[in-house]
Amino acid sequence: MKFNPLSLVLAALPFCANAFAAEPLVNQLKTQTAKIVYETYINNNWELMLMNADGSNPVNLTQSPTVHEHYPQVSPDGTKIAFSVDTGEGRDTVRSLWVMDSDGKNRRKLADGAREPFWAPDSKTIGFLPQEFAKFAVIDYSTKGMSFCDLATGKIQPHPNSEKLHHLYNPTWAPNGKWIAATVHAGMGFDHAILLIERNGTNIFNTGIPGCRPCISPDGKEIAWGPGDHEIATAPVDLDSDHPTVGPRRLRITTNKETKIYHVDWSPKSDFLSISRGPESDGDLTKPGTFQSACEIVGVYAKDWNIIAVSAKRNGVLDLNSATDADVAQLTKDGSSNKESDWFQPPAKK
Amino acid sequence: MKNLLIALLAALLLSACGKAPTSEPTAATAPVKSDGPAEFVTASGIEMVLLPAGEFTMGADSGNPDEAPAHRVKISSFAMDKFEVTGEMMSKVQLPNPSHWSDSPKKPVERIRWRDAKQFCNERSTAEGLKPCYNEKTPDWDCDYSASGYRLPTEAEWEYACRAGAKEAYDFGTPDKLRQFGWVAENSEEKTHVVGQKKPNRWGLHDLYGNVSEWCEDVYDPAYYKTSPAQDPTGPPNPGKDVQRVMRGGSWKSTPEMARATFRTGQKTGNTDACFYTDYCGFRCVRRIAPEEFAKLKPK
Repeated sequence: MKFNPLSLVLAALPFCANAFAAEPLVNQLKTQTAKIVYETYINNNWELMLMNADGSNPVNLTQSPTVHEHYPQVSPDGTKIAFSVDTGEGRDTVRSLWVMDSDGKNRRKLADGAREPFWAPDSKTIGFLPQEFAKFAVIDYSTKGMSFCDLATGKIQPHPNSEKLHHLYNPTWAPNGKWIAATVHAGMGFDHAILLIERNGTNIFNTGIPGCRPCISPDGKEIAWGPGDHEIATAPVDLDSDHPTVGPRRLRITTNKETKIYHVDWSPKSDFLSISRGPESDGDLTKPGTFQSACEIVGVYAKDWNIIAVSAKRNGVLDLNSATDADVAQLTKDGSSNKESDWFQPPAKK
Repeated sequence: MKNLLIALLAALLLSACGKAPTSEPTAATAPVKSDGPAEFVTASGIEMVLLPAGEFTMGADSGNPDEAPAHRVKISSFAMDKFEVTGEMMSKVQLPNPSHWSDSPKKPVERIRWRDAKQFCNERSTAEGLKPCYNEKTPDWDCDYSASGYRLPTEAEWEYACRAGAKEAYDFGTPDKLRQFGWVAENSEEKTHVVGQKKPNRWGLHDLYGNVSEWCEDVYDPAYYKTSPAQDPTGPPNPGKDVQRVMRGGSWKSTPEMARATFRTGQKTGNTDACFYTDYCGFRCVRRIAPEEFAKLKPK
């Protein structure tokens, strides 16, 4: 009988396929040069942390025991981080918009009564949502209008349709610069919706997708969002049109009813997603600088919440409760209210 | 003849409620609470009705199982908002209006979480220099019933106010008149309406039978009436898990059955929900007023 080496290769293929399938996702993340910044609660204080894409080497970027930083948003060129800072207590809390270099240096304040920053594609302008009232309310949609801060001059200008923008939250700027996606709750005649707001005009489109907290992929081809407390979805989107449309859901990441998943963000190459995950709760008032509300909201302590990553290339349904480490990478593990992750590609060193 | 007497009594009570002031109130001219309900305007301009202390039969043996047993309850005098809390009132204390329908600032607030309703109460108290009832440092925002500020009504206070001395399911009589007194499923066109457009109950309180259902302070327990105390009951203790709070009164989506004065329901508080979608959950406030303070208030 003549030995055929091809038969040996063919026989081994299923085992190889299994071996590939079983490779932990974190191994793929180890090869990434992208970084992730996120908020955490340590030593009775909110801080911003920076870690590698596989969750290794977490570094405290802010180290400010007397003020509370959250909601980090990195500029598309990877050089700066916009974030919010809380000072004061209760309804006298002042939430401010700050910016710093992506290594944590050169921090400066841009505006008071400002929340939920988002970057222009050219990294020269930061959009933000002015607070609805002078008195603080932790609920995320307590906003009125939309403003833009020119980073070079510090000059702040309202959106051309600012007067009519009300109760928006979680805005994100499309890479083509044309649209700003945001959720609206009980405002502008909408019950609840994910909207596309024209940057330089007054057009507003209801995407028709249910849920909240949209995030447009860096390649501009997809939108990720949370259709509910227990699902993250992605779908193709056409943002170049004057009448943008969202296609059917391509990927659905689900979890059980005892766990929430929120704050989805795309990696710079649109190939991975990071997500915050943890049990339902409504805060812990024994912790300074925190508020009582749904734990996914900025400023509310989220007990046992961590950040995970999944591949954005997969299709169909990924049930996190039956997922293996080939499907999911656990990026943080201490459960210390780790939320609002934001990927970025650090600029090449000169 | 009996009905005529009742109608006359009701008319007398209502006319007493509606007297317009001709001068600044003094201890001598202010309405006296022992005479019956008396309307007044708070320091922040909100209309309220001071209800007299009294005793009534709470619940119904002929209703749903959680309405039984009917039992006698004594209630201390308290003041209740004449109308449901509106979007306009929320804005005054700088709290965002979460309502599905906010096309008019005078529409009742709905989709409001139980604790956010309590926050409104505390803010309103602070704005008027009253001692807030709720301790915002505790997980449930525990209520100090002795404080001078605003709070949610207890379930017993709510039913006492709604019944307005009547023994029937509706203080106005038979269900065929419900359309005159409340926005319910059969006349609401599936939405809320500006408060105060329907007839008030006999004590001058509007929209108790419809528009939005109203949060109460109490934990909901279907068996509570079996052990409820006879004087100013405040509901059972928090069981710690899957807690529901009492909602009372009909809403824009209620059947006549659900609008009955004794109808009870429990509702999850929404405290862990970023967006609370229950668009029939509203509220109104109450507070205790000492006679000497009432004498200084501005009667309506």
